[in-house]
Amino acid sequence: MGAQLVWFHPDLGEHLNFLRKNHEFLDPQLITRVLAAVFSRDAFFNPTTFTVLYWATFTFGVLALVGLFTRVSLFLFAAGTWIFVAHLFSYGDRHHTEALFAIFLMLLALVPSGERLSVDAALRRRRTGVGGAATSQLAIWPLKLILVLLGLTYLSAGMAKMLHSGLRWMNGYTLQGHTLADALSRGYPFGVWLAQQHTLAVLLSVFTIVFELFFWLTLVVPRRWLPAFLLVALLFQVGLYLTGGYDFFQHMVLLGLLLLFLEPEWWQRRLGVGERVSGGSLDPGVRTSAP
Amino acid sequence: MTDDRRKLLASAVIVLVIALHAVPVIYPPERGTLWPFMVYAMYKHSRPAGPVEVNQRRILAVTASGARDTVTDRLLGVSVTVLDQQYHRPLMTGDTSVVAAIFERLNRGRTDRYVELDLVSETYTVTDTGLERRENPVVTYRAPGVTH
Repeated sequence: MGAQLVWFHPDLGEHLNFLRKNHEFLDPQLITRVLAAVFSRDAFFNPTTFTVLYWATFTFGVLALVGLFTRVSLFLFAAGTWIFVAHLFSYGDRHHTEALFAIFLMLLALVPSGERLSVDAALRRRRTGVGGAATSQLAIWPLKLILVLLGLTYLSAGMAKMLHSGLRWMNGYTLQGHTLADALSRGYPFGVWLAQQHTLAVLLSVFTIVFELFFWLTLVVPRRWLPAFLLVALLFQVGLYLTGGYDFFQHMVLLGLLLLFLEPEWWQRRLGVGERVSGGSLDPGVRTSAP
Repeated sequence: MTDDRRKLLASAVIVLVIALHAVPVIYPPERGTLWPFMVYAMYKHSRPAGPVEVNQRRILAVTASGARDTVTDRLLGVSVTVLDQQYHRPLMTGDTSVVAAIFERLNRGRTDRYVELDLVSETYTVTDTGLERRENPVVTYRAPGVTH
């Protein structure tokens, strides 16, 4: 929530620029088409409405973060976020960075969010003297679903490379070319250096394909191996950013959350906090996922 | 709502979210317009073995008063992909049919109108001794009705 609110929030100026300089969409996304059909294009997609929508979305985000009318606020915050991203991608450009995180935000509205640490819970305790449920079997499923979707997306990316290019994708020249073009245009000197290292490019190409084709194994391997897979995925995303400016920060946050909550014993053991936290977990609700 | 009903509802949402990811795969006409349900076929193209060479290009726009601006996606009001695919690439291949469209977009509502576009490009080649940079000749396009 906090990441979306302060880090990944939409750039209002960019949206207003699109609205002022375009009278029609190039590739309207489904959400955009539905809104245009319901409200008419000019009535909804104009600078005034979008400015109001931006601040309304921000307000719902703050309410969701502090936990006031938590689930309604979560839903409206996620819905506003979806509208902004769909609008941005209706002008002939699409990126993959926002999709899974946006789905995750929406899923949070469907689970018992804000049951313990929220203004709602504090008000309820004050009013009735009863706190929210200590644990919930349902609280963890958005993160588990995101792990499935991450496996699907990486597999999709790997399969596309193999079906379209075959083994040639791993010849090193391919990765050198992609990296050089993006690192130069975005100003990433590490990527420019990498693009000149053919052998390293071959090795990283093989790693990329193996990683993308087999990350889904996280869903079936013993749970003690999960942190290793997630750390490799995190390194993969950080590496992509440092070499070519591929800014999948939302994926990094999701991977961090998975590391933090899906297998908490792993980091608690290393930090020595397992004994200090009741039951060896920060949030008893997530223990439902433990084997 | 009972726990069993909650679990049933959660299961239905899980199946729905996963299933929706299959829609752009099996229904190509809508492949690019179903965000946040997408295919993830990025960077699927390969290049053959041989010298690694890439072009970097930008368009500089000159106004009647002599001011110069880089033509960015924001200045044109298009996405970065559209700027590259619909404007940069055609100009790089000598297709001048997009020039009028660029001027039209750039000059909307302007008093100091843009009258000249300079296509500036460099070619970078990975060689045994490092990265070689070669500047290509600047190609100039003038707005309709502007002769110099």
